[in-house]
Amino acid sequence: MIKVLVVMTGRSYQLATELPAELELAEDARLADALAAIERVLPEGESLPASCLVAVAGFHLGTVARHDNPELKDGQELVLIAPVAGG
Amino acid sequence: MSSDSQPLTAEQQQRYARQLGPGVLTPAGQARLQNATVLVSRVGGMGGPAALMMAMAGVGRIIIAHGGELISPDLNRQVLGHEEGLGKPRAEEFADYLRSMSSFIEVEAIDHEPDDQEAMELAARCDLICSCPPTFGERLRLNRVAVAAGIPLIDAAQWGMTGTLMVLQPPRSACLQCVYPEAPPFEEFFPVLGAISAATGSLAALEAVKILAGSGEPLYGKMLSYDGYRGLPNVISLSADPDCPCCSGAGQNE
Repeated sequence: MIKVLVVMTGRSYQLATELPAELELAEDARLADALAAIERVLPEGESLPASCLVAVAGFHLGTVARHDNPELKDGQELVLIAPVAGG
Repeated sequence: MSSDSQPLTAEQQQRYARQLGPGVLTPAGQARLQNATVLVSRVGGMGGPAALMMAMAGVGRIIIAHGGELISPDLNRQVLGHEEGLGKPRAEEFADYLRSMSSFIEVEAIDHEPDDQEAMELAARCDLICSCPPTFGERLRLNRVAVAAGIPLIDAAQWGMTGTLMVLQPPRSACLQCVYPEAPPFEEFFPVLGAISAATGSLAALEAVKILAGSGEPLYGKMLSYDGYRGLPNVISLSADPDCPCCSGAGQNE
């Protein structure tokens, strides 16, 4: 098993209080597996926005709807940034 | 930006004395600021502090765009407004405030959201765009014209107690459309606290000053986010989309 740190920020930061600070995943887990694991622990009726940015180890990999799908490594940080706007 | 920058006057040297020195600005950099033109689109919670900090730093020409009249709920964050301005058009009120802060700069006020054509014409006159609108439609428009004009775009955004900041200029970085290939939905009544607006806007001004003056290391190609709810900063490196319909050809004619 590997452990991946999870940081959620941006528009949905208040959801982060419902999330575990880290996910335990299979050795060969990929980014999509981590996102699916997060969706499973979100409060009922909540989901990650399709346009939520996804970054692993400090590098942007796309959005929840469209992203690269690398294999994750133990100890990496997964950052989710839901889009914000406002003047 | 004019290449034949005029030297600073004695009055300007006095005004900017506290920001001239090692690790800040050089006299030549200050003169470059004086000769620079910046568009700040929407000068509310973030764009207002951004424009104010640029005015005080000595950016020579600031064009602000903001429609509508000032209303009471604006005054939790729109630092260029005040109670006596309630009900008055924001653009001119805010421009007057900026002018009152410095006689060394010029401020142009546009009382509406520029459309595609006007935004393109404005970009052609500017050295940098500071994008602070509440809609992704406007942000992506400013991104398109910045890419077309080959100038940096600083995108500042906020929600609640969180703020994000990106500095973008293809081909040295992604553009906003690389980051958001599909515009996220618009949320008309979003919550926001003025402290995060001002912090994000001030950081946008800092990046603008660094770029225009040629000082420091601008945040090109990165997104800085600050989750004020939990006090968590984060920086990620943004990836350019090689097939981006907006910027994939940027720089090819340079």
